[in-house]
Amino acid sequence: MNLRRIGLLMWKEVLQLSRDKMMLPLIFLMPVMQLIMFGYVVGADVTNIRTVIVDQDHTVMSRDITEAFSASGYFKIVDRLDSEDDVQPAIDEGTAMVAVLLPPGMERDIASGEQVPLEVIVDGSDSKTASVASGYAAQVVASYERERLTALGAVPDGPGIDARVRVLFNPSLRSVNAMIPGLVAMILMLSVSAIMSQAVVRERERGTLEQLFVTPIGRAEYVIGKVVPYVGIAIIQTLSVMVVGVLWFQVPFYGTAWIMALGLLLFLFTGIGQGLIISMISNTRHQAQQTTMFILIPTMVLSGFIFPIESMPAAIQPLTYFIPMRYILVIARSNAMKGAGMSALWPQFVAMAVFAIVVFGFGISRFRKQLAD
Amino acid sequence: MSFFKRKIELEPPAPSAPGVAVSVQGLSKRFGDFVAVDGVSFEVGAGEIFGFLGPNGSGKTTTIRMLCGTIAPSGGGARVLGLDVAGDAEAVRARIGYMSQKFSLFEDLTVDENLRFYGGVYGLDGERFAARREYILKMADLVGREGELARNLSVGWKQRLALGCAIIHEPELVFLDEPTSGVDPLARKDFWELLYELAASGVTLFVTTHYMDEAANCSRLAFIYRGDIIAIGTPEDIRVREMHDEIFEVESSDVDAILTALEADEDVQEVYLSGALLHVNMGSGGNAAERLDAAIVRADLPGTSATSIEPSIEDVFVHLVTRERSERGVI
Repeated sequence: MNLRRIGLLMWKEVLQLSRDKMMLPLIFLMPVMQLIMFGYVVGADVTNIRTVIVDQDHTVMSRDITEAFSASGYFKIVDRLDSEDDVQPAIDEGTAMVAVLLPPGMERDIASGEQVPLEVIVDGSDSKTASVASGYAAQVVASYERERLTALGAVPDGPGIDARVRVLFNPSLRSVNAMIPGLVAMILMLSVSAIMSQAVVRERERGTLEQLFVTPIGRAEYVIGKVVPYVGIAIIQTLSVMVVGVLWFQVPFYGTAWIMALGLLLFLFTGIGQGLIISMISNTRHQAQQTTMFILIPTMVLSGFIFPIESMPAAIQPLTYFIPMRYILVIARSNAMKGAGMSALWPQFVAMAVFAIVVFGFGISRFRKQLAD
Repeated sequence: MSFFKRKIELEPPAPSAPGVAVSVQGLSKRFGDFVAVDGVSFEVGAGEIFGFLGPNGSGKTTTIRMLCGTIAPSGGGARVLGLDVAGDAEAVRARIGYMSQKFSLFEDLTVDENLRFYGGVYGLDGERFAARREYILKMADLVGREGELARNLSVGWKQRLALGCAIIHEPELVFLDEPTSGVDPLARKDFWELLYELAASGVTLFVTTHYMDEAANCSRLAFIYRGDIIAIGTPEDIRVREMHDEIFEVESSDVDAILTALEADEDVQEVYLSGALLHVNMGSGGNAAERLDAAIVRADLPGTSATSIEPSIEDVFVHLVTRERSERGVI
């Protein structure tokens, strides 16, 4: 093991990277792009749902309810219609996703003690928005009803069941809070496996790998010289994602730095191992790219990064245990959002350690063997 | 790191005699069922330009890679500069140079950065590096172009820079694997001038090539075919020992037609293109000129003439390969 040679390999790698017009933007644009995508697009919460009001009552009460919808922030009143018949065309055309029907005589009937149906029509073609919208609508109506009864001095303090859901740890239910810790893990994985495997395959394509191994450079020196620069890049990327997450997206961090760091470190070794394996089974950079995609898609879909594991079909769920990303996501999210410690996260840490040892160990030993043949 | 050590089960090869740079002893390499190198033995003397010839896939590169210590032999062994290549690979690699046909420069580093990298890898200190750098820049005709990316050099300069990187540490032995492939004839000639200079300074050169005119530049040659050495010696030795056949150069207005006709003629042993002309081997049965004339008459292609020539290395090579193929029953 010769430090000077390792230093030279690292120097050379950084120089090459700094001149790579394809790779360099990728390294710096990727985290930014992913932050924007996941921070604003995927993780965006449902607000400003286009809503039409059909007010056939024209009373103080109907105006108050309309105002309550509008003031909630979830609904944006785009039109007021006179007839229920106009609702269908508005939803068909996509001008509205939700219609609120306030029937004629509503205020009068309530005053006379009758039960009045308030109809909310939701466009179910986008199931996520539809379920969120109907939930919000029910909430808006319930809270209006509660205020009305309180004003009348009626029921509230009396007997009866009042379900109040209290969301722990992420009270505003902002998806971005869960997205950013996941994104940190994802970017770490991409840097050390996707980008590093490209660099190794490029070296083999050009014949410089063969040349390096007729010099006194040892295999261990080569691996270290190759891995360290990409780990450095991964660290810069993850730190910048974290900083942007906390400062720009206001993601709270309740976690412990060392628990987070230890989890990411174990995950890093898995990523390096994966990168080495990809670079061995790929002869060209194009193949390496395909292999990366092949691994990336199940990682994104099955790890819980985008879709919650609990909502996957029961038959699919066992597969998620084979996705290393699954465990780091639990560690990163629980630690960042809940401050969960070792006593809660040790099963994930054990799983991460097993993956790190198996994938990294396999990658290194096969890499060594392949270079020897 | 012990984790990276290879397990060595082979007997170390016998010590090499003084003045021997490379001593190959029953060296073989198998990849699964495929035998790439089948127990070859030969020696290369210090200061020789040793030409290693063979058709593609005959085991040239595999042999070189074993001698450089990048792949482990499956059987037998070799000593390079007195060191066991399997047991002492790292020490071997520090004392040899290697240049491949890909020229293997870092294309996105500059000329100077390539030199600095290899200089550092071979542990050259400041003063020695400065001297070697100057020497190589001069040799490769790259003075004033130190800051250019290797990618932007044309092929002749790339080739010389690759040689420079391979000899930056003044190795006693340099392996060159098809160092002139893809280079124009003039640059090839210049490159051989450099090789002569190196050899004159006492460096042993181990060169593979498929250019037969270059083979004649070597002080000794070995022919490898399907993993076996089929002839070895100086170019002159090989010619005298292996070649008793009579060779003719045939000129014709319709080269393709006469090639087809002579290939079909049973009295003609071998016929092949050499540049724009045909070379015909009439075997060693005597009356060669008369028999060839008769064959040409049979072909009935006017405007065809034949001249007797001294067999070249290429003729010997074709003859040896054809002989091996028919002996082994391979088409």
